Amino acid sequence: MTATSQSTWRRRAVRVLAVAAVGLAAVACGDDDDDGAEPGGSGEAPSGEGGEITVAIVGNPQMEDISALTPDLFTAETGIDVNYSVLEEGTLREIVTRDIGGGGEQFDVVMIGMYEAPQFGENGWLTDLTPYAEDDTSYQVDDLIPTVREGLSVEGKLYASPFYAESSFLMYRTDVLEAAGVTMPDNPTWDEVAEIARAVDSDQMAGICLRGKPGWGDLGASFTTVLNTFGGTWWSANEDDTVAEAQVNQPEFKEALQFYVGLINDAGEDDAANASFNECLAQYRDGKVAMWYDATVAAGLLEANDSPVKGLNGYATAPVKETDASGWLWSWALAIPQNSPDPDTAWQYISWATGPDYIKAAGSQISGGWAAIPPGTRASTYEIPEYQEAAGAFADATLEAMEAAPIDNPGTTPRPGVPGVQYVGIPEFQDVGNRCTEQFSSVIAGGASIDAALSACQDIASEVAG
Amino acid sequence: MQVDTVQQEPGAAPAGASRRDELHRPWRRRFPLLPALVFTVLLTQIPFLMNIWYSLTDWTIVPPAPRTFIGLDNYGDLPDDQFFRDAAWVTVVMTVTAVIASLVLGTLLALLLDRKFFGQGVARTLLITPFLIMPVVAGLVWKNQMFSGLYGVVNWVTARLGMDSIEFVSRYPLASIVVVLVWQWTPFMMLIMLAGLQSQPAEVLEAAKVDGASAVGTFRQLTLPHLRPYMELGTLLGTIYLIQVFDHVAVMTGGGPDSTNIPYFVYQRSIGGGWEFGKASAYSIVVVVASIVVATVALRVLSRLLQGEEIA
Repeated sequence: MTATSQSTWRRRAVRVLAVAAVGLAAVACGDDDDDGAEPGGSGEAPSGEGGEITVAIVGNPQMEDISALTPDLFTAETGIDVNYSVLEEGTLREIVTRDIGGGGEQFDVVMIGMYEAPQFGENGWLTDLTPYAEDDTSYQVDDLIPTVREGLSVEGKLYASPFYAESSFLMYRTDVLEAAGVTMPDNPTWDEVAEIARAVDSDQMAGICLRGKPGWGDLGASFTTVLNTFGGTWWSANEDDTVAEAQVNQPEFKEALQFYVGLINDAGEDDAANASFNECLAQYRDGKVAMWYDATVAAGLLEANDSPVKGLNGYATAPVKETDASGWLWSWALAIPQNSPDPDTAWQYISWATGPDYIKAAGSQISGGWAAIPPGTRASTYEIPEYQEAAGAFADATLEAMEAAPIDNPGTTPRPGVPGVQYVGIPEFQDVGNRCTEQFSSVIAGGASIDAALSACQDIASEVAG
Repeated sequence: MQVDTVQQEPGAAPAGASRRDELHRPWRRRFPLLPALVFTVLLTQIPFLMNIWYSLTDWTIVPPAPRTFIGLDNYGDLPDDQFFRDAAWVTVVMTVTAVIASLVLGTLLALLLDRKFFGQGVARTLLITPFLIMPVVAGLVWKNQMFSGLYGVVNWVTARLGMDSIEFVSRYPLASIVVVLVWQWTPFMMLIMLAGLQSQPAEVLEAAKVDGASAVGTFRQLTLPHLRPYMELGTLLGTIYLIQVFDHVAVMTGGGPDSTNIPYFVYQRSIGGGWEFGKASAYSIVVVVASIVVATVALRVLSRLLQGEEIA
């Protein structure tokens, strides 16, 4: 190679290198910019007055209300800025589990369900809120409804503060039952409910709406309360409350599933295999079903001012068979991840958001009015005169259901994963519940036989026991 | 600019260039591409290698447990896993039926579009539209506006014909998903077949006409053989994409017997609630291997097709 061509090459190489270097520098700058722009990504809240926290919440109406009221009611008082990440339930569960399970520091406060709270607490993923709650007089920890508090605690340690809580009960159209000449007892059995449902079922109006959509929190929740009171269980327990053996192949389980599917087939809603809370709510409000077994929070929507069925409804406790009470218990609650950089600021927010004062302040400020405040967490809520007036039709029935929820012993036999009614409080239940309810939903749709579904589900549940 | 000048180098290089320079020359040419290449390798191959490593471990984060190396156990368990077998079977049925149906429909539509008629451009654009719609949107629209038993268009039509309303998605999940896939992928096949039809030499068809061949005969003996490589290409590309269908399953049925395919199963076993990342990684590796096999065949067909074009 001649000297000239070599030097030409060198010049070219330098030019190429320069271009590449500029390109790399641009990429690097881009990275820097991204890091700077990411809101709260590093979890390093600016110190000084107030501060800033990032909160992950589930997108339900009560949470949307609080995020709208936060600047006026909280930030104005404390100077703490609150960044909300509003997520859909399934996404929230995925992100929160990955974030705090994997040791991320994305959030200062996370909203978790009653299913997760004790498990995450036991895993050491959450900050124990008991000392904060007991030292904070405005929080009034003893005002919390005992079953809810217990459901969010492990061995007396409170790991999440309830923002909203619900049980389940039976809602029915008093006018329809009257026209059919039947009466609903205050504490009905499932056999009585099934009889009434079949009696009032007609071409225009189905007898009862029951959840049939796959998902451990959809069909899984409704069905498990039925399973419990029929004397069945998902798993038997060892002496130390761990999972012993899958019980899906037991006669009680089959009886419960046959009853549930049979009732839907005979007197259930249209498109039951796709129906969960929202679908049943729509059908009930449209006058397409006469009864509905679901969350107590539905009552507030049925008695709302814009509801076509306002004032037409009766409320009975969750139907039973072998047990005294069968209503479920659920709560969305706020918790502080173990690695949160500033738990004191986070508690300030939780104390405000789940304290008694927010409930009182929200009643007069949110668009839905008093009936739409976050219910079920505190006894004092049910003593507010405005709430009693707005929610008179269902407030007592709700409180009764909350207090009666059999969270420590939901069935007739020992089982793992208590406290917990409509789910089994073990990490594997989310997966087992999802996959088994897919099978059951397929039975409801008419695609599979009960025996095939039960056999598949027994295999799924046995993976845990094994 | 640099690329052009560097490319001239080999021709300009004197015969006395050393062996070492000969070896280096291709790399000089590739040098400007290196940042992009390194970037791609970092973003695709390292995660893939990590995925292979994960598939050799027992790793669950709920309940938290240490990650332990278990060798090939995750793969050894695969044939015994009834739910994996079901998911694999659903994947096969879903992919094969959707690809064949969209290929047949796409070919028929391409034959129609190959003719001159008024409004041809508009018709072609309209026919392509389904392919441009996001899969999630397509799944939701079909589930709620077309298939719904209460207010779906399909049931409205069947009700006019005196039939009972059917909940298609819950009663026939696999068939419902396949219908939506076919609706979305027919335009893709149509475009490929249209390209094939338009590359057919006009003089051959003219000669056939002069010789008195019937339209059916011309199609069977001339057009169809000419289209064969295009059909193979469409089949293979369609298969590679449809093996990975996830969105439609997630929004239409959310899984279940006869609708959980392997990608959805992998999701369920990992972040969808199973939290068993080791097993889920093994499942996904199986899908990748299957896709690579199909893709290799696809690339062969593609190169044969391009060679054929050159000869023609």
